[in-house]
Amino acid sequence: MASAALPALSPALLEQPAVRVLSEALGENLLGATDFRGEVAITVDRKAWLKAVSLLKDHPELDYKLFLDLCGVDFLDREEEPERFVVVLHLYSVSKKRHVRLRTPVPEADPKLPTITPLFKGANWFEREAWDMYGIVFEGHPNLIRLLTHDAFVGHPLRKDYPQGQRHVLKEPRKWLLDVPHESEHLVINLGPSHPAMHGCFRVQALLDGEIVRDAEAEIGYMHRNFEKMVEARTYWQVIPYTDRLNYCSSFMNGHGWALAVEKLLGVPAPPRAEAVRVILSEFSRIMDHFVCISTNVVDLGAITPFFVVFRGREKIYELLESCCGARLTVSYVRIGGLAQDVPEDFVARCRETLDFVMDAAKQMDELLTRNVIFTRRFRDIGVMSKEDALSYGWAGPALRGSGVETDVRRDAPYSGYDQYDFDVPVGTTGDCYDRYLVRMEEIRQSARIIRQALDKLPAGPVIVDDRKVALPPKSEVYGNIESLMNHFKLVYDGILPPAGEVYGATEGANGELGYYVVSDGSKHPWRVKVRPPCYNNYQAYPQLLKGGQIADAIAIIGGLNVIAGELDR
Amino acid sequence: MGVLDILKGKFVDPTYAGVHGGGDIITTTVDAVVKWGRKSSIWPMPFGTACCAIEFMALTGSHYDLARFGAEVLRFSPRQSDLMFVAGTIPDKLGPVLKTIYDQMPEPKWVISMGVCASSGGFYRSYHVMQGIDELIPVDVYVPGCPPSPEGLVAAVMKIQEKIQTSQQAGAPQGAHRVGANGEGMYDRRARRAEWAKDDAERRAAGLPPRGVLSDLKPEPEIDHGAHHG
Repeated sequence: MASAALPALSPALLEQPAVRVLSEALGENLLGATDFRGEVAITVDRKAWLKAVSLLKDHPELDYKLFLDLCGVDFLDREEEPERFVVVLHLYSVSKKRHVRLRTPVPEADPKLPTITPLFKGANWFEREAWDMYGIVFEGHPNLIRLLTHDAFVGHPLRKDYPQGQRHVLKEPRKWLLDVPHESEHLVINLGPSHPAMHGCFRVQALLDGEIVRDAEAEIGYMHRNFEKMVEARTYWQVIPYTDRLNYCSSFMNGHGWALAVEKLLGVPAPPRAEAVRVILSEFSRIMDHFVCISTNVVDLGAITPFFVVFRGREKIYELLESCCGARLTVSYVRIGGLAQDVPEDFVARCRETLDFVMDAAKQMDELLTRNVIFTRRFRDIGVMSKEDALSYGWAGPALRGSGVETDVRRDAPYSGYDQYDFDVPVGTTGDCYDRYLVRMEEIRQSARIIRQALDKLPAGPVIVDDRKVALPPKSEVYGNIESLMNHFKLVYDGILPPAGEVYGATEGANGELGYYVVSDGSKHPWRVKVRPPCYNNYQAYPQLLKGGQIADAIAIIGGLNVIAGELDR
Repeated sequence: MGVLDILKGKFVDPTYAGVHGGGDIITTTVDAVVKWGRKSSIWPMPFGTACCAIEFMALTGSHYDLARFGAEVLRFSPRQSDLMFVAGTIPDKLGPVLKTIYDQMPEPKWVISMGVCASSGGFYRSYHVMQGIDELIPVDVYVPGCPPSPEGLVAAVMKIQEKIQTSQQAGAPQGAHRVGANGEGMYDRRARRAEWAKDDAERRAAGLPPRGVLSDLKPEPEIDHGAHHG
């Protein structure tokens, strides 16, 4: 057996199907495997990269069909890593409900790796991003050009030796995204970067034959504000405000995901009351996000009434968040190990009142839209995404479920006590815009169900862990005794010091699986943080959805994908 | 506010019988009336890119209701608008787009820089974010906040109305002198390390120990206390 040649692999690891299958198939090309915080990470030689990925995808025992994330990591001057760069791939198996992480070292002198775009369509942009950020060349990639940064950019910014603040000024934007034949009589139009239906700034170039879209190509990066570079110079707390600005329609959920990822890395869970409050506010944020998504989508199609109806409900949720933490939109309410402070005394009553108001608004929107003939004609059988393509592109959340894939992180890998609540996961059948809309509407109702259950049994107790290496001691103690004062000082000065290691913390954001891949070197700054943004994958498939359809449908489709620029470009 | 209140000072008092006959006519200058009309029917162009655009939506929504200031007709075409809200971070990639859109707006035009990202880069002091839109376009009112509250925006719109009435307009981009200014963290780990290594080698060649190393300390000579000590 090939695995006999690998004494480093313990029997417990070999029980993991992924490790067993890969070690048998790859032999000495499997460089190692680890199990840290319940996550399996397999390192393979880059010679076996393609083979390993296709095995993970197609082996019946593994079945990792859902593409999640691909990124580079720069281990400059870190002796424990054999090469400077590592390319990391995350996959998920919907049938087995398991994640896997595949790593491969890439040397600095020859940073090349074969592309996996034939296996996963979603890998296209991720590989372009890895090239843009790290200069890792993916051989055989169809279009390896700058994705997030602009064409006048020099260097690869996420490399550790690239100074964080080094700017390059762009004079001329990229003119052509499509390869248009010179004598073509088709019309080329640009949707965006500044376009009323592009919520945020992204751009699509479409080749029109009359009203029919013959070809389309998307460009992103207009909101690339360097989240991943900035947080490498921040402590684990200081990242929280940055996470708020990823998906700013439901900012609380991003902080929630970040706190869970770091708590996983630390091995310190938050107290039950904090988790329950997090669930309540996360679900309110989900409702709010779906409100914005649906109402602005139909505003673009000419129906403005739902916007006014649900924005009143959204304003109520803002008031609720404001009563908890003082901010409306960018809340920064979560802390590592709990919450910044306890909720107000009348929190439960306030939540119930808000929920009633909000659900009334949702009902009105439902009445206005669901059976509206104009609306259904604009939405039915438009932008159909097949189940296989949705998995291959790595779609997430309501969009993935709209295509008929039954998966939800809240149910399949419960966090924050979601296993205590009873809720359904709605799934679509055809994968068109109307299905995505229906899934969102049902999720609003399910969120309300979860909130009601959580309110009924909201536990008492502290809202942040009593661990002086993670959470600041209460102010009364800091002013009262020397030990707490020193704890406070040490924590502020040294920051949270997690163990060295890597975790992937996944939560179900409003748009789908929001993952934080955190690499720690044991110091107070994260070595590398990669966000797995759900709408990045969704938007990647957008040009494909346009092709062959009417240009007017482009507007109906984009709204249903709920692309949020802050999360898309980070 | 009635028309007469707004135009106070610019109009001749209409109740003064000598100016008009019978109270149906008021006299004023064309300029004052045009400005009054202009400030009461602002057509804003929302250049929304990020989180601030969401708060901007709240401003135009039913609760805060920008229509109270006559500015609810949002135009997504710059050619039909006279006030641009730059709501959100402007990365370098978007810079030429912002400039083009600003140039397409007809004169006279005003710009509100909404939030700290648009005003100064905010807490994104990094390689791809413009450190304030005034590098490229003139800004009339800066609104602080991340994001600013809708009340802050209402105040900004009222400031713009004041500016319109008093013919004030920002002339040139205020930050033109710092186009391409770098963000924070302008050091390079590897370059710094190479610099130190070079310095160490030079010192070693000169017979000196590297900086910060105390290896040249000689052991303290033993003090001879003499035979008679004690």
